[in-house]
Amino acid sequence: MISVLNVTKHFDEVHALSEVDLDIATGEFITIVGPSGCGKSTLLRIIAGLINSTEGSVNKLDTSMGAFVFQDAALLPWRNVQKNVELLMELESGFSKSERAMKAHDVLNQVGLEGFEKSYPHQLSGGMKMRLSLARSLVLKPDYLLLDEPLSAVDELTREVLQEEIHTLWKEEKFTAILVTHNVTEAVYLSNRVVVMSPRPGKITHIVDIPFKKRDQKLRSSTKFHKLIGDISGKLRTWK
Amino acid sequence: MEMKKISPPILVLVIFLLVWTFGAHLYGMPFLLPNPLEVAQAFVSDFELIVGGLWITFQEALYGYLLAISIGITSAAIMSQSKILERSFYPYAILLQTLPAVAVAPLIVLWFGFDMLSVVVISLIISLFPIINNTLLGLKSTSINLVELFQMHNSSRFINFFKLRLPAAIPNVIAGLRISAGLSVIGAIVGEFIIGSGSEGGGLGVMIIYAQGDLETALVMALILTATLLGFVFFMSVTTLGHQLLKHWHESEIT
Repeated sequence: MISVLNVTKHFDEVHALSEVDLDIATGEFITIVGPSGCGKSTLLRIIAGLINSTEGSVNKLDTSMGAFVFQDAALLPWRNVQKNVELLMELESGFSKSERAMKAHDVLNQVGLEGFEKSYPHQLSGGMKMRLSLARSLVLKPDYLLLDEPLSAVDELTREVLQEEIHTLWKEEKFTAILVTHNVTEAVYLSNRVVVMSPRPGKITHIVDIPFKKRDQKLRSSTKFHKLIGDISGKLRTWK
Repeated sequence: MEMKKISPPILVLVIFLLVWTFGAHLYGMPFLLPNPLEVAQAFVSDFELIVGGLWITFQEALYGYLLAISIGITSAAIMSQSKILERSFYPYAILLQTLPAVAVAPLIVLWFGFDMLSVVVISLIISLFPIINNTLLGLKSTSINLVELFQMHNSSRFINFFKLRLPAAIPNVIAGLRISAGLSVIGAIVGEFIIGSGSEGGGLGVMIIYAQGDLETALVMALILTATLLGFVFFMSVTTLGHQLLKHWHESEIT
């Protein structure tokens, strides 16, 4: 479980986050939505431990390994696909050379990038780059995965496919997922719960439970799916 | 395709040589303005002399350049490690650039003697700053997401430097090396001008001074051409190295 306790963040003059409280259950998929500049990415970075909160704290119980998926995939352009997947295993140490190669092979198969081991990031499409970025994190078998608008740079069709893939990976790997996005459809499709934040200083205004059991094409076209998207969009818009 | 790449500069060269030949003919004073053919003749008849000078200048420039590369990259690496270090030392790196190296050269000769060492030091001083400046810029321009990625996985300063900041800075390092390639040869020639007749044998710069004194203008031009080509060879070597290092990933080298 990850507990965000009364987190407030100031950047010099800017009041980014105000008294955020949030409990995230182990294995849950939770999504934070909010207008631009509401501090949702800041909150994610505080949970990651990349920046410190001004007040409050984040407690991560029985979670040791976390991974962060960045908006622009954050690949090393001078490393090929194979070497990019092995990067975090090198940084975390404790993986032998043969172990790295074996795990990289498996995870590349899992995300459908087999055969591209020798390619360089600039040769990949936006969707493939994101798959590679996911693979690089998942190979560590993280307890929790933090995703910062991972699909904002890909086209609509690729985005839907990747949403389905992320859902599948989440079911297979059973990590806790915290996603930040401004795409409400994506939030509703992927999550167990959607957290709605207000503009700066970011506060949690609503937490919406998503009741769907199955994620598929039928759900996407269903009325209840669109009604929930409409509800959450309405909650976002009251702040505009 | 290959033809198109090569022919325009060749065409420019041919036109230039024609204009030069015609101009020299009109001027009519070959000891002041020899035509290209006379320069070529000087090059052939004094070939051994020129190669001897080239060898000396080549060594001076190469040592100056290699020293500039090692000192430049090391000091940029040190400055990139902390804002305080950068703010303490970078202003002096700028002074190194604004320092009139030609004016300081006599002092260098006083300190290091009338020999090759002084020339190497002058070449070093002239070619150092672009390497420091570009390398430092590259080391400081690492994408923030990549820095956070490494931070997320507890990477040490050492790992950060060698697996992230340095490789990310390679395009800038190469840019600095390319600027300094020609400068190192210029530095060597300037150094030779200062130490002049004091040196034994002497490189291209020393020979230029002597040839000028003897009004052997064609030889002066042949020597200048040789020094120019030397700088060009340095430049092309670094460019080739850069291409090898960057061809798989950097926009500038991906074809």
